[in-house]
Amino acid sequence: MKKTLVFAAVAAGMTALSTGVQAQDCTTKIGAALPTSVDWGRPIAEVAQFAVDQVNEAGGVGGCAIEMVLRDTQVDPKVGVDAAKALVDLEGVKVLLGAVSSGVSMPILSSVTVPSGVMQMSCCSSSTAFTRLAEEGKTKGLWFRTFATTAVQSAMGAKVAADKGWKSVAILYKNDDWGQDMAKLIAADFAAAGVEVTVSVAINDAQPSYRAEVTEALGSQPEALYLALYPTEGTSAVREWLSLGGTQNMILANSLKSDEFRDNVGLQYLGGALGTDTASPRVESADAFKAAYQAKFGSEPNGPGLANSYDAAIIALLAMEAAGKDASGADIAAAVSKVTDPNGTAVTADAAGFKSAKTTLAEGGTVMYQGATGNVRFDVNGDVSAPAVVWKFTDSGTEEVEYLSLTEVDAFIASLK
Amino acid sequence: MIQHLVDGILVGSFLSLGAIGLTMAMHILRFANFSHAELLSIGAYCALVFDKVFESLSPVLATKIGPLSMTGALAISIILSMAATGLSAVLIDRFIFQRVRQKGEELSMVFASFGMALIIRNVIGLIFGLSGELYSNEIAFAMVLSRDPLLLVKPDQVFVLIAALVLMFALHVVLSRTTFGYSLRAVAENPRLAQVHGINLKRMIAAVWVIGGGLGAVAGIFYGLSFQITPVMGRDLVLPIFAATIVGGIGSVYGAVLGGFIVGIASNLALVILPSGYSPSVPFLMILAVLLVRPNGLFGEARA
Repeated sequence: MKKTLVFAAVAAGMTALSTGVQAQDCTTKIGAALPTSVDWGRPIAEVAQFAVDQVNEAGGVGGCAIEMVLRDTQVDPKVGVDAAKALVDLEGVKVLLGAVSSGVSMPILSSVTVPSGVMQMSCCSSSTAFTRLAEEGKTKGLWFRTFATTAVQSAMGAKVAADKGWKSVAILYKNDDWGQDMAKLIAADFAAAGVEVTVSVAINDAQPSYRAEVTEALGSQPEALYLALYPTEGTSAVREWLSLGGTQNMILANSLKSDEFRDNVGLQYLGGALGTDTASPRVESADAFKAAYQAKFGSEPNGPGLANSYDAAIIALLAMEAAGKDASGADIAAAVSKVTDPNGTAVTADAAGFKSAKTTLAEGGTVMYQGATGNVRFDVNGDVSAPAVVWKFTDSGTEEVEYLSLTEVDAFIASLK
Repeated sequence: MIQHLVDGILVGSFLSLGAIGLTMAMHILRFANFSHAELLSIGAYCALVFDKVFESLSPVLATKIGPLSMTGALAISIILSMAATGLSAVLIDRFIFQRVRQKGEELSMVFASFGMALIIRNVIGLIFGLSGELYSNEIAFAMVLSRDPLLLVKPDQVFVLIAALVLMFALHVVLSRTTFGYSLRAVAENPRLAQVHGINLKRMIAAVWVIGGGLGAVAGIFYGLSFQITPVMGRDLVLPIFAATIVGGIGSVYGAVLGGFIVGIASNLALVILPSGYSPSVPFLMILAVLLVRPNGLFGEARA
């Protein structure tokens, strides 16, 4: 008995020392359904945990430490829905972070989070199908994402083709929600920019061979190839394409911004490839995140969706703080506007920022969160817009070719309409 | 159109190799082995390891053979990995399937094979990582055989097709001309009667696994040579291989060969009429079509 008491005292002392705040005697769970079993998914989950750690360092939410219960989606809608169901039904979470792919986020949203009134905040789903769903009122305001919609990317793809003077383009797209959406948008944008789309071919994942699909695209003899694929099937399809004498003029969606793709296709064949991506705004808060990430993980936050995943986690937790104790998912979702208020008090994206946000919120004020992706502001559909970059592969990773600010992006999108 | 036909034949060549082993095991051991396609992964990854070892041992072996993207090291690796995969297949049977066979029913075998497939896939993922691997980062460019209609063929594919045909022919000779081949066919026909005639059943079962594993390894390596190898390649290949086996008729080696080519050609030609989003359905449509006309497959025979 004595021993236990001593141990407890020591443990309490250690906690006080390490966090420097009042002891937290309760835990609140939040859920995360992310594809941790794929190489580009794990860092997205790690950075979300990093955000949770910082919030705990700042004393947690509503005086309780936050525990992020993480489950793997394996980029599979069935597995993702199971994971989300378990998190909502068994763990009782009110906030769910995830998923990454639109094809996984969508069934989670429609069959798990909306029916159970849980707020869902995705770091990386970019399909415009969510916008349509929100417009129809089917998301009940529970859906948010910190990743700009596919519309920004597809407009950039059209801009690259127009700038390069490529007159005809063939499209290879992943046959899921995201890919189909992307293919539809990019085809419209190419047409608006005066670029002919010779053919648009769906690529199913997990197929033994993509030769027939590639042959079909090749037969249309385009000047360039647009790829809305993931690295594994992207590698197969592009190697097939190049080996059959296809052009090296390629426009890549951000999903191919991966070392696996670059290494397995070979940098020597990617000289004519230009990628598009949404970008962090060139602001202080984004640089601060980069530095913090570097200090924590020892590398630049280069993978897709890292800054977005961080912001998704922090904003969700800020909203939980703003909504108060025992809030429902809908209450938390409603509180998001209080922490992303352009007229609110500015707070930084770190433990100190979270602490000052807590004070402001406790006093009944509102907060403007300046995050890793800039001053995040959701529209009525839970969407954000973003600046964009055009990038290319280099020996060490990727390099920026062109940066377009939010105004420039919006202006270009408007010019396509 | 011609391009799709040629591509289909080339894809068919490694589906056939995979289907031969599957059909033999299914016929002789009387169970649907869903882990068969994992033997292709084992073979492909074994070759990857052997290839790297030989290349570092002797730089001469790292040079490419003619227009192929294959090196001398990989050629030796194919033979070694055939042996290694055949051995793994025998071991898997000895430690897992044999025990289940003695105690369980046919359905238990099917489930055991599902489990085995998951285990193999994940062990490979643990060791080699989940991203794709390649034998050579160089891209082997296709030769233009004809401009109009456009017909492109990669040297690797021609090699794969010829090698596959040679292997199939060798197997045909063994099965139809040697005592060993007769014994194997006798066991397939009626294991008890075969044993009465002094055929060692255990040895024959091991032989089936060695042949199935060896041919599977070649199929896996050829697949890797043409595309890329990933830990989940077994998952991607299991359905086309099963389709080839069923279309050809379970138990018929020649049916499996033909089935492989039919499935390969059909999935490639399908794109001419179907939108590409529906291509995964083609193997199933093939199974349906063939079974409607011939319920036991093209070369299969009804068995009590």
